[in-house]
Amino acid sequence: MKDSVISANNLSVAYANQLVLNKVNFSVAQGQIFALLGGNGAGKSTTLKTFLGTLKPQSGSANILGKPVHQHINTSRKQIAYLPESVMLYGHLTAIENIQYFLSLADIKQSVQQIEDALTQVSLQPQAWHNKLSQYSKGMRQKTAIALALLRQAPILFLDEPTSGLDPAAIDEFNQLMSQLAQAGSTIFMVTHDVYGACQVANKIGLLHQGELISLFNAEHNQSIDTETVHKAFVRGIRA
Amino acid sequence: MLISLKDLKREANFLLRQKRIFVLLLITLILTSFALYTGIIEANKQQQSITRLLQADAQEQEIVFNSKNDYGSIAYYNFHLTYLPPSQLAFAAMGNRDTHPWKHRIRMLALEGQIYESDIGHPELAATGHFDFAFVLSVLLPLILILLLHDLFANERAAGRYDLLTVTASSPLKIWVTRALVLTLSLFLTFILPFVVAAVFNQVAISQIILVGLICLAQIIVWAAICFGLAKTNAPAPRLASILLSIWLITAFVIPVVGDAVIEQQITSPNGGDILMVQREAVNDAWDLPPQTTFDAFTQTHPEWKNHTSMNKMFEWKWYYAFQQVGDQQAAELTKAYTEAAKLKYQAANWLSVLSPSIAVQRAMTRIANTDAIASANYQQQVRDFHAELRSFYYPLIFNQVEFDQQQLALLPQFSANSHK
Repeated sequence: MKDSVISANNLSVAYANQLVLNKVNFSVAQGQIFALLGGNGAGKSTTLKTFLGTLKPQSGSANILGKPVHQHINTSRKQIAYLPESVMLYGHLTAIENIQYFLSLADIKQSVQQIEDALTQVSLQPQAWHNKLSQYSKGMRQKTAIALALLRQAPILFLDEPTSGLDPAAIDEFNQLMSQLAQAGSTIFMVTHDVYGACQVANKIGLLHQGELISLFNAEHNQSIDTETVHKAFVRGIRA
Repeated sequence: MLISLKDLKREANFLLRQKRIFVLLLITLILTSFALYTGIIEANKQQQSITRLLQADAQEQEIVFNSKNDYGSIAYYNFHLTYLPPSQLAFAAMGNRDTHPWKHRIRMLALEGQIYESDIGHPELAATGHFDFAFVLSVLLPLILILLLHDLFANERAAGRYDLLTVTASSPLKIWVTRALVLTLSLFLTFILPFVVAAVFNQVAISQIILVGLICLAQIIVWAAICFGLAKTNAPAPRLASILLSIWLITAFVIPVVGDAVIEQQITSPNGGDILMVQREAVNDAWDLPPQTTFDAFTQTHPEWKNHTSMNKMFEWKWYYAFQQVGDQQAAELTKAYTEAAKLKYQAANWLSVLSPSIAVQRAMTRIANTDAIASANYQQQVRDFHAELRSFYYPLIFNQVEFDQQQLALLPQFSANSHK
């Protein structure tokens, strides 16, 4: 797997001796958008947390740029930006202040102009930039978090249920933005249970069921992955 | 992990803009200032009371000196104010000054009754005490710290930011340590700054200001470590708050109250009333006893007056003061038992400090401020010493039946307070 930016090699994770991920294997190349699909309790979040370095594998490894995350946490984290499911940035700060705060934590210096450019890129209206985040909708908060991810200039993005709770227009905007980032060379890993959304944006989909990766789908010739095929596999997996 | 000034400034700017934190710190500042203000008022009131009583005593003494012309009458009618003045630091820790008397107007009668007539059973571990700086420091500081630190991690987890912060920060541990540091430092400042202002205003010695600062710091470090250690677990904020508040309640209230009850039960002590009764009964009974019985008991401790006990009249002052002395002698065993028990109680309370940071802080504060049981015991000893000086002055004049001379009264002992300054 020479070009793989993200890979799982026989990845197994257990909570209190109970196996929640069982020998999962996949790889994601640079510029790919990989969506990990699965129902509740399938092991999506566990996979994500293992790549973020907040969980350790029982066996196997979760790798970023070929290095096991649990052995190279600091170098791995420098390569990634993370967008949590419920993006609750700090309500008492404005969008710009939130971004400045998080960038400062990461020891990254960006000018206000660069921050404003990123907010423009994620289509957050300028009149909202100086409002406190407690006044933002979920979509606006998510745009702010995406702008933060962009400004971190990390080549890899991990997204947790990124379209959950967004209206259709916001989902469309989000998908477009993800495609643009992938085209620009970013590698994107998302976990979701939204089959339709995943097929819209991802060019590689993994189907996780009860801790095991039961199917992998690849988009071919710049075509979207067929929603119906994935949906059938998803339902079949759940009923199996 | 090295925390820079930049890190501290960033977190201070971030945390102090949160309304909840700002309000908590503001309330702390107001409560601390109020506690200091009431402490200063109370200390001033006590000092003014001493000044007023000293003036009244001087006027009364002048009347007695001018109206009486024998030593026995003067010794009987003349009151002497003894007092333990509030130390410079008493405003910060009033301690036992409400339960242990700090002023007695004494005469040359039997002393023990005069000392214990206002005894109300001194609690070794005052459960809450005054709303003074020591109370705020020992009881309220942990509570505010719990409110500030219990959800340090849990709040971020509940808001879904914990992983984002962990993944984003160059050193995740540094965020939490810096935040805890900023919160505890801010709290420290809200406590210590008003105190320093009040202490400078009251001319407290710098060494004492530093000591109080160290006590405050130690209290914050202990509770911050407890809060930080528990907050790191994955428990939700309400559960953490419940656990921490339980620890606070147990250490700040339950241990002092139960400890006091256990100490009172385990260490038996006569109460002041018992001493008073024994001494008064001895004095009252003496009126009905042959004078020689009293003189026999008196001369056992004062053999130098053995040849001066003959009486020419039904009533003579030397007999009267001899049976006052015998009254004290009969109460001596009880007084000794009381003093010994007080020492044991004090030591037992010291051991309890190990279980309760609140007790430890209060005891340390009242020791520095000279307002604790030791200060009270030292004051009682001063009163006894002064009373013994009065007897040493009057006995030769009365037993030798020296002719009255106003000039002699210039040599009358004067009480001198030996307060910690």
